[in-house]
Amino acid sequence: MAQLSDLEYLKLSKGKKFGYRLGHFFTGIPKGIGRFFLKIWEGLKKCGAAVGREAADIVNTFVHGDWKTKLSYLVMGFGCLARGQILRGILFLLFEVVFIGYMILSGGYWLSMLPSLGKTGPSKEYNELLDVYVTKYNDNSFQILLYGVLTIFFIIAFIYTWRLNIRQNKIAEKILASGKKLKSGKEDLRSIVDDQFHKTLLALPMTGIIVFTLLPILFMVLVAFTNYDGTHNGYTNSLFTWVGLDNFNTMLSWSGGAGGTQSYAATFGEVLLWTLIWAFFATFTNYFLGMFVAMAINKKGIRFKKGWRTILVLTIAIPQFISLLYVSKMFAKNGIINGFLMDMGWITQAIDFFGDASRPWLARITVIVINIWIGIPYLMLITTGILMNIPADLYESAKIDGASGWKQYTKITLPYMLFVTGPYLLTSFTGNMNNFNVIYLLTGGAPTNAAASSASGSVGYTDLLITWLFKITTGAESQYYMASVIGILVFVVVALVSLIVYNVMPSTRNEEDFR
Amino acid sequence: MSEATAKRHMGLKASRAVTNTAIHILLIVISIIWLIPFVCIVLQSFRVENSGQVGYVLPKVWGTDNYSNLFQTDFPRWYTNTFVAALITAVLQTVIVLCMSYTLSRFRFKMRQPLMRFMLILGMFPGMLTMIILYRVLKDLGMTQANATPGLILVYIASSGMGYYVSKGFFDTIPTSLDEAARIDGATRAQILYKIILPLSKPIVIYTILTAFMGPWGDYVFARYIAFGASAGKNVAVGLYDWLSKDQISNNYTMFCAGGVLVALPVTVLFMFLQKYYVEGVTGGAVKG
Amino acid sequence: MKKFLAIVLAVMMALSMMSFATAESMTYDVKIWVAEAAKELTQKQVEAFNAENNGVITFNATIEAVSESDAATQMITDVEAGGDIFCFAQDQFARLVQAGALSRLGTKATETVIANNDAGTVAAATSGDALYAYPLTADNGYFMYYDKSVIPEEDVDSLEKLIADCEKAQKYFAFEQQSSAWYLASFFFATGCVSEWTTDDEGNFISVHDTFNSPEGLIAVKGMKKLVDSPYHLSAGGADQFQQNAAILVSGTWDFAKVQEYLGDNMGVTDLPSFEVDGKEYHLGSFNGCKLMGVKPQVDEVKGAAIHKLAQYLTGAKCQMERFEALAWGPSNKEDQASEKVQANAGLAALIAQAPYSVPQGQIHGSWWDIAKVIGDDVKAAKDDAGLQAALDNYYDKIASLFKLDNNALLFVGAWNGWNNADEADTYYLKDGVVTLEVPESDYMGGRIVKPGDWGTDKGFAQVTEGKELVKDLGEENPDNNIVFAEAGNYTVTWDGTAITIKKN
Repeated sequence: MAQLSDLEYLKLSKGKKFGYRLGHFFTGIPKGIGRFFLKIWEGLKKCGAAVGREAADIVNTFVHGDWKTKLSYLVMGFGCLARGQILRGILFLLFEVVFIGYMILSGGYWLSMLPSLGKTGPSKEYNELLDVYVTKYNDNSFQILLYGVLTIFFIIAFIYTWRLNIRQNKIAEKILASGKKLKSGKEDLRSIVDDQFHKTLLALPMTGIIVFTLLPILFMVLVAFTNYDGTHNGYTNSLFTWVGLDNFNTMLSWSGGAGGTQSYAATFGEVLLWTLIWAFFATFTNYFLGMFVAMAINKKGIRFKKGWRTILVLTIAIPQFISLLYVSKMFAKNGIINGFLMDMGWITQAIDFFGDASRPWLARITVIVINIWIGIPYLMLITTGILMNIPADLYESAKIDGASGWKQYTKITLPYMLFVTGPYLLTSFTGNMNNFNVIYLLTGGAPTNAAASSASGSVGYTDLLITWLFKITTGAESQYYMASVIGILVFVVVALVSLIVYNVMPSTRNEEDFR
Repeated sequence: MSEATAKRHMGLKASRAVTNTAIHILLIVISIIWLIPFVCIVLQSFRVENSGQVGYVLPKVWGTDNYSNLFQTDFPRWYTNTFVAALITAVLQTVIVLCMSYTLSRFRFKMRQPLMRFMLILGMFPGMLTMIILYRVLKDLGMTQANATPGLILVYIASSGMGYYVSKGFFDTIPTSLDEAARIDGATRAQILYKIILPLSKPIVIYTILTAFMGPWGDYVFARYIAFGASAGKNVAVGLYDWLSKDQISNNYTMFCAGGVLVALPVTVLFMFLQKYYVEGVTGGAVKG
Repeated sequence: MKKFLAIVLAVMMALSMMSFATAESMTYDVKIWVAEAAKELTQKQVEAFNAENNGVITFNATIEAVSESDAATQMITDVEAGGDIFCFAQDQFARLVQAGALSRLGTKATETVIANNDAGTVAAATSGDALYAYPLTADNGYFMYYDKSVIPEEDVDSLEKLIADCEKAQKYFAFEQQSSAWYLASFFFATGCVSEWTTDDEGNFISVHDTFNSPEGLIAVKGMKKLVDSPYHLSAGGADQFQQNAAILVSGTWDFAKVQEYLGDNMGVTDLPSFEVDGKEYHLGSFNGCKLMGVKPQVDEVKGAAIHKLAQYLTGAKCQMERFEALAWGPSNKEDQASEKVQANAGLAALIAQAPYSVPQGQIHGSWWDIAKVIGDDVKAAKDDAGLQAALDNYYDKIASLFKLDNNALLFVGAWNGWNNADEADTYYLKDGVVTLEVPESDYMGGRIVKPGDWGTDKGFAQVTEGKELVKDLGEENPDNNIVFAEAGNYTVTWDGTAITIKKN
C-alpha cells in the first residue's frame, strides 16, 4: 500500500480515507507484530537494567549507610524509628511482623503445595458400629491455588515495601546530611490530604480492584492450565492439578473429538461469528434508531416532550430480569404476539420464534429486534443531550444555503455525533459482545445447534461466547477449565476489536481537549 | 412580505404540520409498544382467579391478594436485602467512583497512564467466571448463603472503581483554572475536592448514585451463586426468578408479577424525579469520558 | 420401635466408647433441602422424629426450598455448604455421586432400604454395588392429560388423530420434545430402543448400551417429526398450558391438582398414544423414574449416623404416606404402594396404565440429558430421512465421545460386571498405552477389554492380539466375552493403537 503524504491524504474522500486507514492497519500488522516483539525485548532489557540498578543501589546504600540503615535491612523501619519518624517506623515494622507471622503460620504451606495443588484426596471409611460411612477430607486444590496466589501477591508486596524501607533510609540520611529536618508524623498526615492526596484517594478503590477483580481474573487464567471440573473439584472428589497447555490444544485444534464430533475450534468460530454480528447490529440499530427517536422528540412543534421521554425511560428503571422474562413469554408460540398476529389474520399459524432450529436466523433477528426495544431509551437519553449541544447557527447557515433535512443530517448532525460518541460506540460494541442478560433471559441460547453441542453443554444459535461459557460451567461436566480458556479467548477477541477500532476510528480523542 | 414568500411560508407550515402529526403518531405507537409489557405485568399482578399463566391479559376477578400473599413468603426479607444492598452500594460506590475519577481527571502522577491502561485491559476479561473464586473468598469471610447480602455489597463496592469513565469525563469538563486559583489561596487538595468540585458536580453525583442504586435490583447470576440454597440470603431477582421454575410457576406466577411491580416501584419513582440529572450526567460524562 | 432402640443403643455405645461428646451434644443443626411444597410437612416430620427419640437425638432443622430438579447444580456449587439432607430427581444421581456429594449408606441401612422399597427406585439410587440415597417417591413418570371438550375420547390412542384434532380446533399439543431429553426419549422407547449405562461404585460410567441410532431409532424420529412439525405442537410443560390454549399436555402427577382445577369435568387422563410409521403402530413409551433423598458426606461419625437415621425416617413408610396424603406424591415404599388409598388415586392410575410401556430410568450419564435434548430441534430442522439419520448420527457421535477414548486409549475393566469378587473391581484407562497388573491368584480379574469405538459391542477376548494363552475366554457363559487371567503373576497390557498385547513379567 502506497504511503500518502498528508496533503494527498486530506484530498481523499471520506470513504477512501477510511479505506486507506483500514488498509494501512492490516498491512501494518506484520510490522506491528515485529515491533511488538521488539518492544517486549526492549522492555525486558530495560527491566533487567532496572533490576540491576536497584540491586546496585541496595548494596550501595548498605555499604555507605550508617548502622541505623544497616540494621533496617533486617528490622524494617528501624532507621525511621531511630531517626524519630515514629509513625513510619511503626508501620514498616508492623508490616514485617505480620508478613513473617503469616509466612510461618500458613503462607509457607500454601507456597509449598502450589506446584502440585495437593497430594491426598478425600478418603471414605466405614464405621461398622454406627453403620455409617464417614469421609475424611484432606487437601483442597482450590484453596491451595487461591492462597498460593495470594501468598505470591503478599511476597511481592513485601519485597516492594522492603525496598521502600531501604530507600527511605537513604533519603533520610541525605536530608540529615544536608542539615534539614525530617518530616514529622504530623507532616506525614498532612501530606495524605495534600500532595499525596491522589494516593489516599486511590488506596481504597485500588485495593478493592486488586482483591476482587485482578486476583479473581488471575486465578481464572490459571484455571485454564488445570483440569478443574465437576469430577475434579479439588476437595470432595478428586484433586485437580496442572495440565499445561492441554486445554488450549483441545480448544484450538480443528480436528474433532472422538467419534467425529465437531471440534471446539469450529464451535468457537461459529459462536464468535454470531457474537460479532450480534454486537454490530445491537450497537448500530440502537444507535441510529435511538438517535432518530431523540431527534423526533426534540423536533420543534412536538408536544409533551417530557412525557415521551419519561415513558421510554421507564424501561431503564425496571430491572431487566422482569421485563425480559415477560417479553420472552410474549414471544412464545402461544404467547400474545402470536395471538395478536393470528387475530389480525396476518398469519395463519403461530411462528416459533425461538424454537425452530431450521430457521436460526429467525431467532437471531428476533433477538436483535427485541434488543432495540431495550436499547433505544438509553441511546435516546445520551443523544438528546448531545443533539442540544450542536451549535444552532450551523443549522441556520445550512438552511440559508437551502440544505434539505436529510442533507443537514448527513452533513452536520451525523458527523458531529460520530465524532463525539466514537469512544462510546466502541465500549458499547464490546459491551454487547458480553451482553449476558439479554440472551440468557430472552432465549437461553435457543434454538439448539445440535452439531455444535457436546457433552460439555449445549450450544444454541443465539448463544454468545459469554452465555456459552456460562453453560459450560453449569453443564453436566462443569468444565471450569474450558470456560476459563474461552474467557481468555474472549479477552483476546475484545482486545483485538478495540485495537482495530481504535486505529480506524475518526476521532482518537484527546483527554486535554476539554480542559 | 410578498405574496410569494407568504405562500411559501404557508406551504412550509403545512408540510411541517404534516410531518409533526406523523411524528406524533409514531411516538404514540412507540409508547404503546414500550409500555405493553409493563401494563401487562401490572394487570397480571391484580389477577386473583388464577395464580398461573393464562392466555388473556385483563383479569376476570380483580384484587390485591397477590400483594398481600407476598407477605406470607420470604419476599419481605428479599426486598429488605436488596434495598439495604442498594442503599449502601449507592453511597459507598459513589464515594469510590468519585475518588477514582476525580484523581484520574485532576492529578498528573507517574502511574496515571499505566493505571488507566491496566484497568482498561482488566475490563476486557469477562467477569462471569470470576464468580467461582469470589464465592470462595466470600465464603472464607463468612459472607455467603444466608449472609450473602454483606458479601454482595462488598463485591459491588470493591469492583466499582473500574466504572470511573463516565464521571471522569464529567470532571474533565470542569476547568482546571478553578483548582489553581484555590491552590494559590492555600487550599489543600482535599478542600478543593469537597469545596469547589463537588458542588459543581451535582448531575454526575446523582447519576452515579442512581446507577449504583439500580445495580443490585437486577443482579441475578452472581447473587444466586453467592446465596445458593439459603432463602434468607436471596435478593429479589433470585427469589422472584425461582417462582418461575417449573414446579412453582403455576402457583406463583401472579405473585411474581406483583413482586416485580414492587421492585420496579422505588427505581421508577427515583427516576421520575432525577431524570434531569441523569440525562445531564450521562451526556456530560459518557460521551466525553 | 425396636429398630429405634437399636439405633439409640448403638449411638450411646459409640458415645461412651469414643468419648467424642457429652450427651448434650446430641443436638445437631441440620440443613434440609426439600421442594417448596414439602417445606412445612418436612418441618413437622422432623419434629415428630425428635419426639420419637425422646430427647436422645434432637435436630434443629433449617429447612430450605430447593427445587428437586436443581439440587445437583446447587450442591455442586459447594458440597461443604450444601444441605445435609437434600431431595433430588433421579437424573442427577450420577453427577452427585461423582461430585462426592452423597454419602454411601451403611450395610444395615442398605438392607432396610432394599427390603422396603420398590426395586426400580432402589436401582435408581445404586451405583455399582453401593447404595447412595434413599428412595423418596416412585411417581416420576409421565402420561397424558387432555381436554375432553376438544379431544373425542375415541381418538386418544392415536398420535396422528390427536394432532389432527388439535390442528382442527387450533389448540396446542404440549409435549416437551425440543427442550427435554426426558420427554423425547418417549418415541425411542416406543420402538424398542434402549440407552443403558453401567456405573462403578464411585459413580463413574464404564459402559453404555445405546441403540438410538438404529433402524428402530429412525422409525422413532419419523414419529417425532409428525409431532414437532405440527404448528400446534408446543414444546412446553406445566398445567398452565391449559390456560393458554392447549388441549393436550404430557406431564406427570405433579400437575394433577392444577389440571383438575383448570379443566374440571373436562379433564381426561390416560396413557400415551401410539404413532404409525409404515403401517405399524408403536405405543409411546416413557421414563419411569423417582425422586431420591440424599445425605451429604459427614466428617463426624456420630452426627453422620444420626443424620442417616433422620433420612431413613423421612423416607420411611409413615412419612411417605403423609406426603402422599398432603401432596399426592406417589410412594416408593412397598407397603404404602399396596395401600388402597394409593391404588385409588387417578393420577397414579394413569401412570400404572402407562407402566407396561415405561422403562425404568436406571443410571444415565449426566451429559446424556444435554446430548439427547438436541434431537428434538435437530429433527424439526431435518428436511428428509437423510436429515433424520444425520440427527441420529450426530447423537451417536456425541455419546461415543463421552468416554473420550481417543485412538491411543484402551479401556480395561476388571471385575465389575456382576462378577463375584466385586471388591477388587478396577477400571484401567490405557491412555498411555501400558498398564501393569498384579494378579494375586489364578482365574482372577474377570472383566473385559474394550477398544475405542467398540464400547457398545465389545468383543473382549477376541480383541487380544498377542498373549491370548495367558487369559481365558468366558464367552461361553457370558455374551460380553469376559476374560480372566489364568495364573497369578504380574502382567503388562499394552495397546499401541491397533494391537492388544498381554505379557507376563
